Amino acid sequence: MTGPLADLRVIEICDAPGQWAGKLMADMGADVIKVETPAGSSARAVGPFVKDIPGPNRSLNFWYNNTNKRSVVLDWENNAEAKAALLRLIDGADLVLEDRAPGELAGFGIDLAALRAVQPDLITCSITPFGQDGPWAQYKTTDMVSLAVGGPMSMNGYSEGDAPPNTPPIHGKGDQGYNTACHFALHGILAALFHRDRTGQGQAIDCSIHEALSSTTEVGLPYWLYHKVNVIRQTGRHAAGSVTEPWYFPTKDNKGVILYGIGRDNSSWAKLVKWFQEEGFGAEFSDERFASVRDRQPGRGSPVAAEISAEVERFMAAHTAEEIYRGGQTRDQAWGVVRTPEETLADEHWHDRGFFVEVTGEGVDTPVMMPGAPYSFSATPWELRRPAPKLGEHTDEVLAEIW
Amino acid sequence: MALPLEGIRVCDFTWIIAGPTASRVLADFGAEVIRIEHEQAIDGVRLGRPLVGGPPTTNNSGFFNYFNRNKKSVLLNARHPNGMEVLRKLIAQCDVVVENFSSGVMASWGLDYEDLKAIKPDIIYCSISGFGHWGRDKDFVTWGPTAQALSGLTAMSGLPGLPPAGWGFSFLDHNAGYYGANAILMALHHRNNTGEGQHIDISQVASGMILSGPVVLDYTVNGRGWRREGFPPGNHAYEPNVAPHNTYQCRGEDRWVALAVTSEAEWQALVRAMDEPEWAASPDFATNADRLTHQDELDRHISAWTADFEDYELMALLQAAGVRAGVCQKPGDRRETDPQLQSRNWWSTHVHGEIGECEFDGVCPALSETPGSVRSASPMLGADTFDVMRDIVGLSDEEIAENQGLGVFM
Repeated sequence: MTGPLADLRVIEICDAPGQWAGKLMADMGADVIKVETPAGSSARAVGPFVKDIPGPNRSLNFWYNNTNKRSVVLDWENNAEAKAALLRLIDGADLVLEDRAPGELAGFGIDLAALRAVQPDLITCSITPFGQDGPWAQYKTTDMVSLAVGGPMSMNGYSEGDAPPNTPPIHGKGDQGYNTACHFALHGILAALFHRDRTGQGQAIDCSIHEALSSTTEVGLPYWLYHKVNVIRQTGRHAAGSVTEPWYFPTKDNKGVILYGIGRDNSSWAKLVKWFQEEGFGAEFSDERFASVRDRQPGRGSPVAAEISAEVERFMAAHTAEEIYRGGQTRDQAWGVVRTPEETLADEHWHDRGFFVEVTGEGVDTPVMMPGAPYSFSATPWELRRPAPKLGEHTDEVLAEIW
Repeated sequence: MALPLEGIRVCDFTWIIAGPTASRVLADFGAEVIRIEHEQAIDGVRLGRPLVGGPPTTNNSGFFNYFNRNKKSVLLNARHPNGMEVLRKLIAQCDVVVENFSSGVMASWGLDYEDLKAIKPDIIYCSISGFGHWGRDKDFVTWGPTAQALSGLTAMSGLPGLPPAGWGFSFLDHNAGYYGANAILMALHHRNNTGEGQHIDISQVASGMILSGPVVLDYTVNGRGWRREGFPPGNHAYEPNVAPHNTYQCRGEDRWVALAVTSEAEWQALVRAMDEPEWAASPDFATNADRLTHQDELDRHISAWTADFEDYELMALLQAAGVRAGVCQKPGDRRETDPQLQSRNWWSTHVHGEIGECEFDGVCPALSETPGSVRSASPMLGADTFDVMRDIVGLSDEEIAENQGLGVFM
């Protein structure tokens, strides 16, 4: 079986911002040819590195973001022959994916609009900080700066009193601004591909990281649009129009859990009470005053909810995070344990689903695990065909295919 | 201009946020998305705040309106045998079925993938749930915040020594929806090529776990976990490890600019922008390694400099100097101040049956030949029941009236 995009050839000219979009296509079968200058994509210089030794083929960040791609080194910015090779590669491609500043490729003589004029079925996708035009079009960004300007960051951080005074909003780590922009780029690419399937017509896609993030703030925008209220950021839970009760509770093992709802209906409340009482907690929960679902919910200011919260805090402090997670879930509570990324490796559920895959690379001969597929396709499954390419690993192979 | 997904019909069983995000993307690009709704099991987001003009009516939620623009709504009692029959007839006329119930719900209705395939052989069926439809914990349930905790993303955000700051909204509801839309579109391309449909199964938690691969690899290769001294690093850089990299306070209440220097040239540009203060010439800040060692002191110096600036003024000054910087914009800033979104015609106004005039954000990315668009506000509950039953399912007026009498259509 092959992936759903196995008939696609993609030329990728990307550093950190756009590489995830290329990976998502490569993982689903596309032949993604990463064209790099002799120095290599700047993403190769992003750590962590294998055994902390930097090198173009030792970036674990690059390993993860470039699976299933081929790497071709062409000095196309400086060398006419190399530029001709890049143009020839584009000539044989379905899609160009790039993340240079607006106008930069054209400045080097790679004019995507002109190429589309002679290759009308070509799809081009340009991922930039703010889009191809507008007053901020030439502004530069990083993942954090994009999360700040786009809006997600203003909703993340600490409640007053939970952190030192004047604590800023905090951005989520892991290049989530770039990743999100790549998810949007892919919406556009795949919609354009569907249109091309029917009409043969290609087109240009202008993906602004800023716009992608501006559409990824959930309740933030509706609160402004309907009430002219900026939601207030709060520790480890949703920003909201008003101050709410905590969801995060520390546990016995110095970890923590997120309790999203405590006995939201009478049936799950009954299971929770039984569990607490078996363990010697919540003896008073059987009283009549706890019978109302509404009174039990936090955020309503009821004394009953405050009593529950105090007892829950005691219970959490007496149990490990995993005990609470599994104990809660088996009693119909949508509770989660705050795991670090590597702690997910210990959860057998993900191994049941074949989620983690094995990879090797420079300095790592024994296969190690990393996350695999974001989705399971029954007919055209995700597949790790090859690890991230070494710099220029496929130059000869690919050039032999086109000349 | 033509819409790229015109002619694609989606039978949309989604609710809350993750599923409706997936179908919002499809609808924005022109798919005909038909929400299947039931009054006794209503989408809770139809009652969700912010509400417009008083208590919830099922049609006055600004939250629902945001995620369900461009869609249709059919109100149907699928527990009545006739209801299930017309539902199956509707599925036969659809290209895609998408849902985000807990695993097992569709099967309990007799609508798992094998059933759907029997109705429509090339159907594309996308299921989104907390843990996916198989695996030992498939019956566990999540909401955005619990999925974020389980995925590792919550723990990655915060200041050392404090509880996690996490994500202040259901980022993984958005994210699982984005994966749903992309997977459906990939499957449509495969169907165009081969005529074959398929089942796509998505776990919301896994859609977050794939967003921290380098951190997992640092553990499996180097044996280094995320719980360590100085972690999570707040707004200091993780990788690449550079300084300065932080948020700095400006004039006014809770006004911040995020600023990152990623090269020696950018550091020199920042020093020039600050008018070459004496402290910046100290050997403590000579190289990136020095700046990382003395990061707290560096932050104090820069904060003292930024404190007198207005945030947008500082952003413009730094960007003009070649320094990566931007205002931590709040939702109101994006709508009222942000000149970039304004200049790209990001906002549009539409009329909703009960809310009245309402605003929407735009469609990203911009396609040159077949751009997506906002064409209508979210549907009133059941607004399209009769049109869909007549025009798509093919019921006669008599059959519609009869089923209405039986309580099949509400």
